[in-house]
Amino acid sequence: MFPRKTAIAYKTEEKTVLRGYNLSDLAEAGYSFCDAMFVLFQGRIPAEAEEKMLKYEMGEFMEHSMSPSAASAISVIAGRPHLPAAVAAAVMTFGSAHGPGAAHGYMMNQYLDRALAEGKTVEEIAKTLVDEYMDHNQPVMGMGQPQHRDGDPRAEPTHLKQEELEINGIYLRLQRSIENYFHARRKKEGRSYVPVNCVGAGNTALCDIGFAPNAAWCIGSVVRGYSCAAHAVYTLKKGRAWAASRNEPMVQMLDLSMIKYAGPEDRPVPKQEERQEYANKQKATGDYKKWVI
Amino acid sequence: MGDLNSKKIGNLDSPKLPYDYLTREVGTVPLDQNRPPFQWVSEVAYKNIHRIVARGYDTTELVEEGYGLVDILFVDFQARIPTIEEEQMLNYIMILSLEDGLSMPAALARIVAKSKTHLTQACGASILAFGHAYGGYAAFGNRLSQYLERARQEGKSLGEMATELVRAHHRDDALGVSDLMLKDPAAQRLLARAEKLGVTGEHVAFMREIVKAAQQLSTTAVDLDMLGATGAVMADLGFTPEATWTIIAVTRSFGAGAHFIEEVEREGFTRLGETLTSPEDYDGPPDRPVPPLAERQQHAVPAHAESLAQWKALFEERKKLPASGFALVEEIDDPRNPKKAH
Repeated sequence: MFPRKTAIAYKTEEKTVLRGYNLSDLAEAGYSFCDAMFVLFQGRIPAEAEEKMLKYEMGEFMEHSMSPSAASAISVIAGRPHLPAAVAAAVMTFGSAHGPGAAHGYMMNQYLDRALAEGKTVEEIAKTLVDEYMDHNQPVMGMGQPQHRDGDPRAEPTHLKQEELEINGIYLRLQRSIENYFHARRKKEGRSYVPVNCVGAGNTALCDIGFAPNAAWCIGSVVRGYSCAAHAVYTLKKGRAWAASRNEPMVQMLDLSMIKYAGPEDRPVPKQEERQEYANKQKATGDYKKWVI
Repeated sequence: MGDLNSKKIGNLDSPKLPYDYLTREVGTVPLDQNRPPFQWVSEVAYKNIHRIVARGYDTTELVEEGYGLVDILFVDFQARIPTIEEEQMLNYIMILSLEDGLSMPAALARIVAKSKTHLTQACGASILAFGHAYGGYAAFGNRLSQYLERARQEGKSLGEMATELVRAHHRDDALGVSDLMLKDPAAQRLLARAEKLGVTGEHVAFMREIVKAAQQLSTTAVDLDMLGATGAVMADLGFTPEATWTIIAVTRSFGAGAHFIEEVEREGFTRLGETLTSPEDYDGPPDRPVPPLAERQQHAVPAHAESLAQWKALFEERKKLPASGFALVEEIDDPRNPKKAH
């Protein structure tokens, strides 16, 4: 249906082959789903410690209760489309703020490249990175999470797991250095403590076990699709469609009273015969501009 | 500002309207003080500043204890820790679900990729490929459960009920038996693995009967396919049809992510206007002059019908124009025999 050269997989009437391995044989041989992720994105069977690291990460990434992704799944299913629409919406919430894994990976690769080109150590380039972001009032990727103010409960344990499994490579070294310098600079500037988040910790480990930025992002965001599916199914089966029923004991998400309006005051619709004069006056005063989005 | 309620606008003073449009209240509805305010209610998970908890289990403690994604799927969807064998079985199914070559989820991800989007848009789009024909696990599983329930209620054997099911649904895309895997042993191996692990139950037993019935009733070669094998085993693992549908779709989405990456690496992007469609691929109305606007009434054919016969004739005529939608008939619930409502 879509003619393409692909180095990922082929499928015949006899078998489905992923990067050279018959998928059925892979499952029969006792490999794990996490092993298969290495085959998919890296074309290789991972070492045991690498598989353990990915198992840990996919386990911890999967459920995060109410985040933009789960909220999207719940909102979408309120309209009762087919379930995949709600799950797709959830996965699509992952962007530059919610789980920006690819960007974090690209940032690390870029600065590691610069360290090489500029003859700097990993620790020196980490300082450069933090300074360049902070000097330009840009958030340092991988730091801070609005809900887990004292530190994402998954983040530091992920660093520790990486060290325990002895797969702490150059990415963890860079990330730790970023964190150290970031904390020191904020402290010196009298600013509050902002801990590492799950992207900073999780994506670092994914990079150290060989996943490219977008592959890591795919893993981190798509795995959340499972739990968002659970939230959508729960809402489908135990929640009210439309989320606005007045017969529910609790005020619903889309109850009319949940709407707070902060736009222009209610105003009469101009008659068509007045329209041109009215429109020109609006343009001339320019008051509308404060509402332009 | 003028008076909002004094002007007549269009038909808004018609007595046919259900209430007085000219004196409608303005402003938002006050907060409802009689009921507790809105909260995100969930039986699945909660989090606070220091914890993320799924079905009562702290997720950081789960992974530190060695549980992984596959275990936590049981936790999220079934609120339980699976047995080792159940975990092994779901792991096996997920490996087989990861890739399917250049099928629809991959094609969708690649098409989205060509527009230079985020990877997550492509992964989300791939999930949308799962409907009631491709990966129709909800349709498949709900039917399996309904017929099993009927077998219990009507005192029929699985074999008898399988024959009834196949007679009624032999043309369905989500039967679970087809000619798709006559040469690929993967579906059979999946069922054999489930039996070896001791995780099969009534759904797999029923599926085996459905295969037998389909083979007896079909004039061409058919056998268990991946949908049937996966759907039946997932049901015996305790997953609802809806859970199965989404778990398999999300699993395939990882593969779609790889296709997104490869598409960008090897094929590049497509700009608006770049894709041409050859006239040879067009079989709609032949090229014709646009009538002058002043003559539109001479050319325009109003759509409304005034009698049933006229309506039917127009309807049939409209079916002849592809993509008008008149030739499509989608199934909706019969109110006299509704499906289980959610």
